[in-house]
Amino acid sequence: MNNMKQLQYKLRIVILSVILILGIKVISFAQDSTVSTVLLDLKYYVSDQQVPYVMVKTKTKKERKFLPVKGIPVSVYLNEESGASLLGKVVTNENGEGKIIIPASFKSIWDSSSAFTFKATSEPDGKTAALSGELTIKKARLVLDTLNEDGARSIRVTALEKNGNEWIPVKDVEVKIMVKRLLGDLPISETESYTTDSTGQVVGEFKRDSLPGDIKGNLILLARTEDNDLYGNLLVEKNCKWGTPLKDNNDAYNSRSLWGTRYKTPVWLLGIAYSIIVGVWGIIIFLVVQIFKIKKLGIEQKI
Amino acid sequence: MKNLTPLTADIITNNLVPQKFGKRGMIWTGVLVAFCIVGAYAYFLQLKNGLGVTAMRDYVSWGIYISNFVFFVAISLVGSLITAVFRLANVKWSTPLTRIAEIIAVSAIVFASLIIVVDMGRPERLLNLFMYGRLQSPIMWDVIVITTYLFISLLLLFFPLLPDLKILIKRKDLSVKSFGKFYSFLGSFWKGTRLQEKLNKRAVNILCVTIIPVAFCIHTVTSWLFATTYRPGWDSTNFGAYFISGAFLVGAGAVIVAMYVFRKAYALERYITELHFDKMGRIVVLLALLYLYFNVNEYLIPAFKMKNSEEAHLTDLFAGTYAPLFWFAIFTGMLVPIFILLFKRGRKPLPAFIAGVLVVVGAWFKRYLIVTPTLLHPFLPMTDVPESFKHYFPTWQEWAIALGSLAGALLIITFLPGYSPSSLYRKL
Repeated sequence: MNNMKQLQYKLRIVILSVILILGIKVISFAQDSTVSTVLLDLKYYVSDQQVPYVMVKTKTKKERKFLPVKGIPVSVYLNEESGASLLGKVVTNENGEGKIIIPASFKSIWDSSSAFTFKATSEPDGKTAALSGELTIKKARLVLDTLNEDGARSIRVTALEKNGNEWIPVKDVEVKIMVKRLLGDLPISETESYTTDSTGQVVGEFKRDSLPGDIKGNLILLARTEDNDLYGNLLVEKNCKWGTPLKDNNDAYNSRSLWGTRYKTPVWLLGIAYSIIVGVWGIIIFLVVQIFKIKKLGIEQKI
Repeated sequence: MKNLTPLTADIITNNLVPQKFGKRGMIWTGVLVAFCIVGAYAYFLQLKNGLGVTAMRDYVSWGIYISNFVFFVAISLVGSLITAVFRLANVKWSTPLTRIAEIIAVSAIVFASLIIVVDMGRPERLLNLFMYGRLQSPIMWDVIVITTYLFISLLLLFFPLLPDLKILIKRKDLSVKSFGKFYSFLGSFWKGTRLQEKLNKRAVNILCVTIIPVAFCIHTVTSWLFATTYRPGWDSTNFGAYFISGAFLVGAGAVIVAMYVFRKAYALERYITELHFDKMGRIVVLLALLYLYFNVNEYLIPAFKMKNSEEAHLTDLFAGTYAPLFWFAIFTGMLVPIFILLFKRGRKPLPAFIAGVLVVVGAWFKRYLIVTPTLLHPFLPMTDVPESFKHYFPTWQEWAIALGSLAGALLIITFLPGYSPSSLYRKL
């Protein structure tokens, strides 16, 4: 009888556990299945070495996080939504991003204007509603100069805005000044960013002494704005011989080593490889000679 | 039980010399030739437009061509197993299978050499490898050892063929006519004198001893092409043994498939008997268990540690994009064949043939899994590469060339004389 009760008790615990697990699952699925709207963002990038481009980004908010939405077709227009103003069409990738480079056919409009509005639209499909986004940008650029006064190295960045046919300095622009490295950019000092003064300029002290450069000691300095409300993402780069020249590492290649040239093969490797090659190919040659011997025997037999 | 006529030399000759193709043979050959033509056209496009016609990019620079290469090299090892190892171990029952194994070995190594040239963007520079190659590079070791193995395999096919060539030349009426002159060129000098027999036997013995270390070298060096590279999935000290065990398995599987097909197509039930399927089935089980053991070592131990650098690669194989293919290869290439062949009934010709096909198919996909997923997960990812570089699926040109090469290897196996009547006389 006691056994029966124990069994019933265990059974209840199992059933309750199953209900609890299923309940948690249902709640978590319910949270997952909350439908979120897709957001369409636009970003503008221009540098002194590249054709300007617009980046569209589609994302959705899920569990207090923004997640990229891929596969959304987006059309981007300049100033107005018309066929003639279409800059291009793009389908967002798995990062929810799509890049549209300003076509060469827009050069004359581009050069003559001081401000633009980028308009992005996406047609509704079965899964997502119609999307639209807009970004107004004033044309601007950065100028980077290097200063070397009494051995103190510093970098001056000037922010200029286009006004009619003139470029005028602008204040209160937040700029980052960095050195380009292999896997990312390194700030030139502990200061994370600088803000231009009333002359549109900012000066940052270069504190990265003995930073390895290329073989001539060249470093790539750069200044940029990040998602500036008025000007977008501006970038300027400049080469400068402030790095420590890389030492020629040819010594490593001039000694006999596994990474050396073919004339610098280690002797032990040559010895092993050639003894194997000579040994095996010696046998092959011996066997080929045997074929000729067998052939000769056959011909003699014929005679 | 059928009352069979006792085998005589004449009956053996009549049964075993190559026959003219029937309707099925012609269709089979036609299909293979069609695959070869499409493959050749795809290669022409690749030569004309460059390797850009393939899906290989900066991430996956070794695609199905190299998978196919590793597969061919693996399957070519069967020559050394069936012919050399069994001969030196004085195994008698394998005699009717030796020629089949040698032909598979030769055709596979020929196409391994060709497919590596196909993988080159500038094949006309092949000679530069020999002229300016660095002996420090494992690729050079591979070039040397493949060339050596090709020559040894050809010699191992040729020497035992000499007595049979004499029969084929005599029986021109039965052989495929266009091959008559070829047979004469190869072996008209064979008279079967005692001295010729002695020289021939000695040559075969020397070859059997030589081919074993060379066969081990060829696949070990092929494994080192991967293992000497510091990448997830390849950074292993186990790779040589892992590759060789896999190679013997696929080779033995291929021999079972070929045994069944030759037996059916040419009615060779009296030469390739159920005993052969039983014995080969047992060998495949042993080799599959051995290969499974190495697989456990290769995948389970890194998965137990799950180092950050290997995690993406391993989870992609176990539960990610490549999981269906990975588990397909493990089940098809090892577990299911073991299950079939463990039982006596499973070692009858038809189930053994099915198990052999599964082994070969599983082995091809296993090679694909060794090569490609690793390349998609480098320790140091490249920056600013197009999204398409991070995925790989072969283009139709790659499929056509790979299938064309497989068809080419099958054509060689189809056309070369597959049996050795002379060695069977001696058993009478």
